[in-house]
Formats: sequence, structure tokens, C-alpha cells
Amino acid sequence: MVVELAPLSIAGGPRGVRRVPDLADNAVLVARELLSPTVARIVVRPDGGLAPFEAGQYLALGVRVNDRVVQRPYSTASDAANADAHEFLVRRVPDGALTPRLWGLPVGSRVRLGPPKGAFTLVAGDSRTHLFVATGTGLAPFLAMLRTLARRPHPPRAILVHGAARTEDLVCGDEIAALAAGGLPLTYVPTVSRPDDPVNRGWNGRTGRAETVLASVLRSADVPPDDLSAYLCGNPGMVAAAETVLLARGDPLGDIHAERYWTAPGETR
Amino acid sequence: MAYVIAAPCIDHLDQSCVTVCPVDCISHDPGADRKAYIDPDACIECGACESACPQGAIMLDSRLPGAWAAFAEIDRGWWIDPEWARAAVDAVDAQVA
Repeated sequence: MVVELAPLSIAGGPRGVRRVPDLADNAVLVARELLSPTVARIVVRPDGGLAPFEAGQYLALGVRVNDRVVQRPYSTASDAANADAHEFLVRRVPDGALTPRLWGLPVGSRVRLGPPKGAFTLVAGDSRTHLFVATGTGLAPFLAMLRTLARRPHPPRAILVHGAARTEDLVCGDEIAALAAGGLPLTYVPTVSRPDDPVNRGWNGRTGRAETVLASVLRSADVPPDDLSAYLCGNPGMVAAAETVLLARGDPLGDIHAERYWTAPGETR
Repeated sequence: MAYVIAAPCIDHLDQSCVTVCPVDCISHDPGADRKAYIDPDACIECGACESACPQGAIMLDSRLPGAWAAFAEIDRGWWIDPEWARAAVDAVDAQVA
């Protein structure tokens, strides 16, 4: 039913002073490490310690600009059991409202950190093969999840497909290799979507977008649909395409978990 | 632009949107409000609330159908004058019912 409403004219509109949320700076920027020309690991320690969180969750990170706080959500890469700070992978957006400021902020500066949020978390007690598919900084929640799985006495088999346009953005490869060397049964598949780009000269690993290598990776690993729990994170186009690949393989929709990264209006992806 | 919570939220108040909003810009007064309200000045347009709402009540203000256009003003108004917003919700709900 569609009803055309008369214009609202209740007591001439709202009267009073706008309630402004309390967004005090509540955390410290403790480290910023450039992992590539455009991606940094940004470490933020909240005053009073970390609120309970789960691998895969996100928090709003913000900096004060005049009388406002510019905030953007980022997935934490930290392991909930072993962290005293949140570690974020942040891509610098040249025309972004937040990231150029984060790049210029001195270590030790006060920042705003929101509460942990989101339901993109590991399914408890799931011992099936865990497939993680990320593009770019969508790797962050999977670092947290892999670190979490690595603490289990009998971690499940894991496959991590990480796609990027540039080899330099396949960040954290050493940490991922260290997790595998430490006993996590992990297959790591970095892939470059633009192998012909001169910046990728010398790359002799896998090529193609993350979703396009997926079917062959799962075939090679011999993972049947009833032994798979899939987690997808990053570019919404990749997430949609990867879902299509997995559904075509017979993986149930309920076993596919997704986190779509978002770009602020007017900012460059 | 900002996201807006429209009529399907009225008397449902599922609050999945509150759970996922990264910047905590969705609120209501329990016991007093029939719906939740998004602060348009704090909303960062991430769309997490839209995906989370089981009622399909949340959309960008630019995509509000004509019948629900008033909710953009109602959501903004609640953060200034909750009593006005509650009366507006009752008035709109009475028209749609």
C-alpha cells in the first residue's frame, strides 16, 4: 500500500538544542608502520585496556577535526587473547577524510576508538576446513582469525587466498608464513590481479583475481562442500563473485560468511 | 546524505542496527520511543544498519519512497526534540495504518 502523506507540521518542527554524542578521545596511537606505499599497520591502545572482542570484529577509529570526530570502521587484526592494543591495516585514500590525517598524526597522539562491533566471527567449535578469501586490507580480520585458530590444540585446516592488484599490497606474508611454520595447517595463496602492470614485474606467483583462482585452489586442496566454512572479506565485488563460485560448487549459503568493505561517499576505492 | 529508519521499525525496535553501527549513531529511549533514530550528522553511510535490519526499515534518505519521506525529518528531529519526533511518528503511523 502506498499512502501519500501530508507534510509534517507538528508544533512547527523540533525545538531545542541538538544532543551531541560524547566522543572524547579515548585511545593512543602507539605505532604506525608502513607495509607498502599505501598500506600501514596502525596500532591503537584504548585507555583502560581492551574491551572484550572476537576475531573478525571491527571498531571505528577516529581523529578530531575541529569540533568533529571523523571516523571510519576497521577490522582488528589483533588476537583477543594476546593483545593490549588493536592493530588495523589501513589503506591510504588520497582524497579520504581520515586516512591522510592518520598518516600525518604523530605517534602518541590521542584518537577516538569505538566499541568492537560486528558478527563476522568464527563459528565456535567448527573443525571443518576454513577458507579465508581477502582482497587488500580485507586481510586484517583473517590475521585475527588465524592467530585465534593457531592457539587451538588441534586447529582446523585453513586456506588463505589473498588478492591484490599490486604485489606490494600483499602485506603480512612473513607473519602468515610464521603462523604456518608454527604449526597451523595453513595453505597461503597470494594472487596478483594485474600481472602485466609494470609495478608487478618479477612476480612469479599465482595471478588472477581472488575469486577466479578459488575453484582451482579448492580442487587442488580436495575440499568437498560439506567440509568447508568460508569467510570472505574486502571488495564487495569480490565477495559477490566468490559467493557465486562457492554456491556453484555446492557450498551451502549458510557456510559462507562475508564482510563487505565500504568506501565513504566521494572517496576513491 | 544519511541512512534513515522508516515505518517498518515502528513497534518492532529489533535493534540489530544498533549492534552493528560502528559509530553508535542510532538510539532510542526505551519505553518512550516506538522506533529507533539515526543521527544524520554522525552517520558515515557505511550501510551496515541497512543490511542488518530484519524489517527492511533502513535506507539512504535519497532512496526513501514518498510515503516515508517524512522519516528523514523525524530522525533528524529526534536528536533535537524527542517529544516532537514521537508525536510525528504517531501521526505518520496513523496515516499509514
